[in-house]
Amino acid sequence: MTESTISKSFKRNEDPRLLTGNSTYIDDIEIAGMLHVAIKRSDYAHARIIKIDVEEARKLPGVVAVYTAEDLGDYWRPGPLQVPPPTAIKGAKFNARPLECIAKHKIRFSGEPVAVVVAENRYIAEDALDLISLDIEQLPYIGDLEKALEPGAALVHEDLESNLAADVVQEVGSWEKAVSEADSVLKKRIVTNHVAGGAIENRGFVAQWDENLNILNCWATTQGPIPMRNSIARYLGLLENQVRLMNPAIGGGFGPKIMSSQIDDVIIPWIAIKLKRPIKWIEDRRENFLGTTSERDQIHYAEIAYKKDGTILGVKDVFYHNTGAYDPYGMTIPLNTQTHTISNYKIPNFYSQIKMVFTNQMVVTPVRGAGRSHGIFVMERLMDAVAKETGLDPVEIRRKNMLRAEDMPYRTGVIGQDFVENVLDSGDYPAALEKTFEAIEYEKFKQEIQPKLRAEGKHKGIGIVMFTEGTAVGPYEGAKVMVGVTGKVNVVCAYSNQGQGHYTTFAQIVANQLGVKVTDVNVVIGDSGQWQWGVGAFASRGITLVGTAIHQASVKVRVKALGIASKILSTPEEELELEDGVVRVADMPEKFVTLGDLAMQANPTRGTVEPGMEPGLEAAAYYGPPHGATGFGCLGMILDVDPETARVKIDRLVITDDCGTPVNPMIVDGQIHGGLQMGIGEAFYENLVYDEYGQLLTASFMDYLFPQASDMPAKFEIKHMVTPSPLNPLGIKGIGEAGAICVMPCFMQALEDALYENELSITQSFMSPSKLFHYVQSAKNA
Amino acid sequence: MKIEGTHNFIGPREAVWDMFYDPQVLASALPGAQKMDMVNENEYKFDMNVRVGPVSGAFSGEMQLENVVKPTSLTLKGGGKGAPGFLNGIGNVKFDEQEDGTTLMSYEGEVNIGGALASVGQRMIDSVAKSMIRSGFATLDAALAARLEAKATGTEVDFKAPTEAEFAKSVAKDMVGGLTNTAETKLVLYIIPLVVALILVAFLLSRCSGG
Repeated sequence: MTESTISKSFKRNEDPRLLTGNSTYIDDIEIAGMLHVAIKRSDYAHARIIKIDVEEARKLPGVVAVYTAEDLGDYWRPGPLQVPPPTAIKGAKFNARPLECIAKHKIRFSGEPVAVVVAENRYIAEDALDLISLDIEQLPYIGDLEKALEPGAALVHEDLESNLAADVVQEVGSWEKAVSEADSVLKKRIVTNHVAGGAIENRGFVAQWDENLNILNCWATTQGPIPMRNSIARYLGLLENQVRLMNPAIGGGFGPKIMSSQIDDVIIPWIAIKLKRPIKWIEDRRENFLGTTSERDQIHYAEIAYKKDGTILGVKDVFYHNTGAYDPYGMTIPLNTQTHTISNYKIPNFYSQIKMVFTNQMVVTPVRGAGRSHGIFVMERLMDAVAKETGLDPVEIRRKNMLRAEDMPYRTGVIGQDFVENVLDSGDYPAALEKTFEAIEYEKFKQEIQPKLRAEGKHKGIGIVMFTEGTAVGPYEGAKVMVGVTGKVNVVCAYSNQGQGHYTTFAQIVANQLGVKVTDVNVVIGDSGQWQWGVGAFASRGITLVGTAIHQASVKVRVKALGIASKILSTPEEELELEDGVVRVADMPEKFVTLGDLAMQANPTRGTVEPGMEPGLEAAAYYGPPHGATGFGCLGMILDVDPETARVKIDRLVITDDCGTPVNPMIVDGQIHGGLQMGIGEAFYENLVYDEYGQLLTASFMDYLFPQASDMPAKFEIKHMVTPSPLNPLGIKGIGEAGAICVMPCFMQALEDALYENELSITQSFMSPSKLFHYVQSAKNA
Repeated sequence: MKIEGTHNFIGPREAVWDMFYDPQVLASALPGAQKMDMVNENEYKFDMNVRVGPVSGAFSGEMQLENVVKPTSLTLKGGGKGAPGFLNGIGNVKFDEQEDGTTLMSYEGEVNIGGALASVGQRMIDSVAKSMIRSGFATLDAALAARLEAKATGTEVDFKAPTEAEFAKSVAKDMVGGLTNTAETKLVLYIIPLVVALILVAFLLSRCSGG
């Protein structure tokens, strides 16, 4: 048997292309006769539109057209919900208010599109924006999640009774029972931070109507090419395959690029057909901050019931979730919060209520982590609070309540974002805790190092938290594996790649079955003209869902290759082996046939066609899991804090992670690095701030602080565990979000430990240097 | 954004009041103002260039005077919009005669700012607003002195409004001043030279392009 290509750190196939500047990004696309679009966005957060005057803009030389919602006629309609609400939760309320791609009667957030300018170039289009004037009646701004639900609050959607977007209760066991049996119940109000996706490349869209073929060619930075294609076809009344949607190279996604039925993919195709000219729109950074989606804004009222000895009996969590002005992404984020609140521990009684709220802010959809981090933050902070109350060490209280390997698979009873019960499929959670505990030398730090430092007046603290990462949810993905006559292999899928390394990891999976070099597998991602079944890049599902589909298709191709070779070589299949691009007789290596020749043979010539023949050395396969695969791990951090300046240095960071079989361990480490950097940003640097009138005050990188490489610890110490998932043949789980979801509670725990004299109780997931400084000062004065 | 404060004018209340009713003087006190016209009694229209950090552009608006009780108090209400965003505000102004013959003006109000002015310029808006108010008063003081002088001597009013360069300088000064006494000084001190450089560059660029 060929040596396995799985679990090996192959260098990435895509890197030579990327590193030599030879990738084509959306803004690199130039088509003769192309016009350029700029979008006029509202400066007002909440207003009724009286008139949008575009006459002056239309007169500017070089402007080809200006459109408002009125000009779209019947074409204007709210888009479909990208994710519908789950039907599996009894009594769940959901008020669907899908995106309005361009404001018609009302403006619901500052940054909402109100008009579109098409011009000979972007300069002219931008100049024309300044000539558009808005006559509006300003309405009161709704931004406070709790006040938004009070009677008499102004309404974001006036046809609704209140600003409530959804109300969902999930209960496992009985919270009442937990309270009655508990020695104590502890309550906390916990707030999570509002952050941006902040991809290095903003969004973009190019459309070109091909009149000869009756095909609309579209290029988009979307994470979900097939849903976007379907949305475009539906809007325009075209057949699905009359819209060819292609992903160019994409500079990061992080969630917000999953959205479709937005201004770009609704209006630009319409303009391209109407004007019969290619149209390009490239989002600028300010638009990206104002108009693209973001996430994380929640307020939790959490309670935990426990025994004196630290045994947790139950958790109750009622939380407000900001969905922004619309709720096109259903309840994915708060459902993720619910499933990730109790997923590391044995909590017999759990009550969780979502109150999803409409506000006059940008629309909220998943950002890497997508609700998971909030649940983890709430639970880990509650564990720390109980540890303090009971006098137990934070590690000890976790050990005491952790789910064990023998509990797996563990049915949580909570319905998740994939509309089925969240089942923790596999893993040894306590082992992850012990691994980090040992590696960071927790005991030594607490017993020997820290007392000495404290005696010297230094402030170093340690934190250690658990997390699970729900990944690889349905519904499904598909792929086709095709051997060419050159013997090289082509794989097509409808996923989307923003830098995850799929050109390599997918190739490794093919190579593993077909005995070809990893560099001889060409991976096509996100071209609906080549493959048109799939859902998109979210929930860390690519490697597990597409990877498994590719594995299954490769197995089929292997079977087919061996079948044809068996005839040609007159040898039974069991005596054949597939290696180095050839099928050969195992004990007679000189007797072989190449994969390329087999591909040629698989395309029958005249007189050789047998009944039931399917040409091509190729096969397609689809994979949809019964439920997601859950990775897990444990993060430990040592922080060095200067109380005078509130400067925080990360002394050590140790993470243990288990994402099942790592297809490419180097790429897994890369995902963990990027995730951790995002998590560190969220804990200490990044924060979206609206003022009291709904103006986003952090709409540039001047005010929205992004962590730099120099803000990172000298080393990310990564420890691996491998518990193959029983859900798929390769035992894979996702890894995209692990690092991003676990940093915040660990950071706060370590801060509290470092600043032990202040007896802090940090209940917010964001603590910037200035915030920390004031927090410490007010704790001193309390 | 809430604004409040007081200013002492060296001159009798009537003279101060008259000055406030002269659109030319008001326009000169507003850095960047291009023109200000009285369209009706107690109703003004203005055009101005706004420059807050990296945000700049033409701005036009209206201002109404309400609850006018000559010469003691009035309410200023108005707003404007333009490429850099919008601004709405309401303010109450009171003029009290002092025993020494000077006039104490007190004002309080609320200003609501939106668009790029808020989302990109907010980092500097407090300082810019502070500078605008201060240099505005300095201009008015000079204007008042010139008017009183002219009245006394029967000559023509000799008054020159300050240049934008002087204004930019005072903004930079205010930003430094505003920061040195906050808790965050140590962390942000390094930003100041950057900001000052930014303002100067923005200013020079606008000069070069004839703005």
